[in-house]
Amino acid sequence: MSPKKPLALAGLFLSAGLVASACGSSTSSSSTSSSSTTATTGAVTTTQAPTTTAPSFAATETPPTASVALQETGSTLLYPLFNLWVPDYQKAYSNITITTAGTGSGTGIADASAGTVDIGASDAYLSQAQVAKTPTLLNIPLAISAQEIVTNITGLTGTLDLSGSVISQIYQGKIGFWDDPAIKALNPSLTLPHLAIVPVHRSDGSGDTFIFTQYLSKADPSGWGANVSFGTTVAWPSVSSALTANGNGGMVTTCGATPGCIAYVGISFAQQATAAKLAVTAISNAAGKFLTPDAAGIQADAQNFISQVPANEAISLVYGPGDSSYPIINFEYAIVNSAQTDANKAQAIRALLTWAIDPAHGNASSYLSQVGFQPLPTSVAGLSLAQINKIQAG
Amino acid sequence: MSIVETSADDAKNDAEGRFHPHLLGRRTPIAIISGLATTVPAIAVIAVLLVLLSKALPAIKYNGVHFLTSTAWNPGNFYANPIVTNGVEHPILAKYGVWPLLAGTLESSIIALIFALPLSIGAAFIVAKKLPPRLRSIAGTFLELLAGIPSVIFGLWGALTLGPILSKHIYPFFAHHAPNIIFFRLFRGNTGNGEGLLTSALVLGIMVVPIIASTTRDLISAVPRLTEEGAAALGFTEWEITRKVTFPWISAGVIGATVLGFARALGETMAVAMVSGAVLGTIPHTVYSTYSTIAAAIVTQLDSALTDATGLAVETLAEAALILMAVTLLANVAARYLVKRVSSTSLPIGKGL
Amino acid sequence: MSNKINAQKKRSASRRIANVVVLVLSSIALIAVVAPSIWIVFQILHKALPHFTFSVLTKTGAGLDGGLKNEIVGTAVISIGVVLLAGTVGILSGIFLAQYAKGRFASFLRAASDILAGIPSIVLGYVGYSALVVGFHWGFSLGAGVITLSVLVTPYIAKTTEVALRQVPINYIEGAEALGFKPTRVLSRISLKTALPGITTGLIVAMAISVGETAPLLYTAGYSQNLPKLTLTHSPLGYLTYAVWTFYNQPTKTALQLSYDAALIIMVLILLLIGVSRVIVAQTQRHAETRR
Repeated sequence: MSPKKPLALAGLFLSAGLVASACGSSTSSSSTSSSSTTATTGAVTTTQAPTTTAPSFAATETPPTASVALQETGSTLLYPLFNLWVPDYQKAYSNITITTAGTGSGTGIADASAGTVDIGASDAYLSQAQVAKTPTLLNIPLAISAQEIVTNITGLTGTLDLSGSVISQIYQGKIGFWDDPAIKALNPSLTLPHLAIVPVHRSDGSGDTFIFTQYLSKADPSGWGANVSFGTTVAWPSVSSALTANGNGGMVTTCGATPGCIAYVGISFAQQATAAKLAVTAISNAAGKFLTPDAAGIQADAQNFISQVPANEAISLVYGPGDSSYPIINFEYAIVNSAQTDANKAQAIRALLTWAIDPAHGNASSYLSQVGFQPLPTSVAGLSLAQINKIQAG
Repeated sequence: MSIVETSADDAKNDAEGRFHPHLLGRRTPIAIISGLATTVPAIAVIAVLLVLLSKALPAIKYNGVHFLTSTAWNPGNFYANPIVTNGVEHPILAKYGVWPLLAGTLESSIIALIFALPLSIGAAFIVAKKLPPRLRSIAGTFLELLAGIPSVIFGLWGALTLGPILSKHIYPFFAHHAPNIIFFRLFRGNTGNGEGLLTSALVLGIMVVPIIASTTRDLISAVPRLTEEGAAALGFTEWEITRKVTFPWISAGVIGATVLGFARALGETMAVAMVSGAVLGTIPHTVYSTYSTIAAAIVTQLDSALTDATGLAVETLAEAALILMAVTLLANVAARYLVKRVSSTSLPIGKGL
Repeated sequence: MSNKINAQKKRSASRRIANVVVLVLSSIALIAVVAPSIWIVFQILHKALPHFTFSVLTKTGAGLDGGLKNEIVGTAVISIGVVLLAGTVGILSGIFLAQYAKGRFASFLRAASDILAGIPSIVLGYVGYSALVVGFHWGFSLGAGVITLSVLVTPYIAKTTEVALRQVPINYIEGAEALGFKPTRVLSRISLKTALPGITTGLIVAMAISVGETAPLLYTAGYSQNLPKLTLTHSPLGYLTYAVWTFYNQPTKTALQLSYDAALIIMVLILLLIGVSRVIVAQTQRHAETRR
């Protein structure tokens, strides 16, 4: 199990191939997906039958001719991708100015909801309460992402295996040293130092926290699930050595500077994490296998859920069944208010988002492979496009 | 540009006698316009209070008195259906307590003063008594520079330079040699990566030094020469003169400046956010523990709080802000009460010159 | 006689040693007080200068690559806005407090100004966000940032203006009145002119605060990697302190470099402002001496 499998496999990921297989075997995801669907007024609550025909992107892909300025903020995980997209997009359409910022998914959701930005980026879908508060708010998947668990253990060689319940106990302060018997039992071949574990979590509201705590809740339902649960921000158990960091970048930097650290980092920061000498940990999936994130594992897990994606696309992809499923993956969402006030702006947002999910443009592997993301499967791209078309002025 | 305007009230007192306000027309347009402008700070204070109170009201209702004593900082489950308690909509399981933040705010500021006070007095004593005028002026420039360094740059230095050095070379020594008895026990334990109570208190201490040192220096210089010369003629050493004549003369002023520095440290935001570890819901149990303060929590938590659709998280931050304002105001009023000589419009630390 | 004997007794060795110990400790204290400012400045120079390129000043960017032009221009625009807005309000209220305000009303206004000066800047940022950005639907914007910062600095400008006006020698005013000057003319030609160095110093302080503040701007001015547009609402803008705070813990070398570059530019600006104020004070003192 190599921790550094090339992420460039993205291009090989044929979205059409996803359609056939999956059939709702995951019980863990159904609760979250169904509860979110019912929240949207008028949303189709039954799961959509996947379409095999590629959606037509051309119709909505033309931006207005007027000058439009768009503001994007939110997920630091999606931020590097936006920064690859935006320069190329502005080269193609010089009348569209796009401002991007990596501020955390919490800000992305909040600012899009408050109307202070046009596009909020989030690794987490909207909660029922948010949709109830702003019924016109949409969460539109743009790509599939994953999260890696990294450690900074001085002198450790070889890949560390950690189960969800062990990680849960670490973040609850119940396991305090790297040579704890529970960790040793999972890694009989490794020599683990007597080094204090420093769990790092995000200080900002974060979709990474959302999927990480979702993983812990599902892997350790009676412990983490019952006591802490999941969210973009949670009540972290009090651990004396715990640290916080701002954004994915902060996670990498803080963990890199802290011997004994464990942290969760979005896949788009994998290169930086490696450069900071952080080791990728193999974590247990629902089948009890230990995996590091790679294209095959992400695809395998995604396949579990593709057929269940509801019309509002609010669904957790975490902890799917299957031996080869990497357990912490998620949709990267654009949070947009469908009720726009300006027709040109509405058209510009539709055009940009359509461009982003088009496999010929934004979803091309030339972009996604740089950040370790996977493209949207065809059926999901179709659902995203349907949501994008809801963005209208007036 | 003096750092603390000790001359302000002197000038006011002097002017009261020889200044003739009636010389200038009270009904002229300039009088009316400037009168209106003068109400702006008052309006701003009222607006700040109104906004905070109206924002905080649901949180005050929901969190109740336990807000002051509880150590929980649980925003609740945003992804479950919100429920209503006491007429306030809130995420299920939400429970907030400001005590760890308040304790962190007070502890870091008090430790900061423990560093800053002796250093400031010692430095002020040397500057006022021993340095030739040219060196005195250079020392003054350094104090101004220190006061002029923005909070975020103190944070940058604390997080990337001071913290790592302390945690690598200084803290392990303390942690290793501190005896396991009361007080010293606080110095034992995991020294972390440099972010924590002691490092941020050190940074805060450096930030409040200019306030205390420059005031003390000005006060020492203002002690009547004759009194000190009289003591010198009696054969007292410099230290004895300082202790027996100068300090009693200036002590009220120094205490005032110290309380003022304390008030500044309480509200300091960026440096603390960058050096404290910004961990919520825990009270530091060693000097290396990560923690947070009210001000730092507002800046690090406001964005995530905004994702709480019920608004409780944002409202709770307003409630915390009200408590911070109350504590700061109390300190400011105390400083003014203790010493009329020290104007409370001294320059803020880390916020300019 | 007994005084002399006492003095001689007291001048014992232990007393002299105590004196020396205190002097040494105080000298160490002075070094400890001066050292951090040198250390911080040196550290920034050490980290920023070796890799500093002038393209940092001419390129826009958001920390991944490019430069700090958007942040530099943003900081300049915000500072100018604050000097215009807070300068106007602050100088006017300084005039009122010095020339017209009397009795309880004046004490109330002064107290309000003092209370405002004591409010932590992040609290003002919170209120600015709630009231201006969300409440008034301004969005992250120049207007919200400038107003929030102006509320913060107005008390300082008012105070320095008041103090400067009060220090205008009374015989200047009386002399002008004797020459038949009208009150407004006395104010503009005599009082304000004489108080100008003091007032300018207050404005420089306001400017330095605008350059160095972070907390009140994060949730009001927002951030943008593009050059600021000169619209007051619905257009966020970048500023140097944002770059320090956001880029410093990013894992790329470029981001860290830009963080130190921004810190360097901030320190250069603040040193310049300290220098200017020193020159003004020195000139005023020289002027005052020749007048004597």
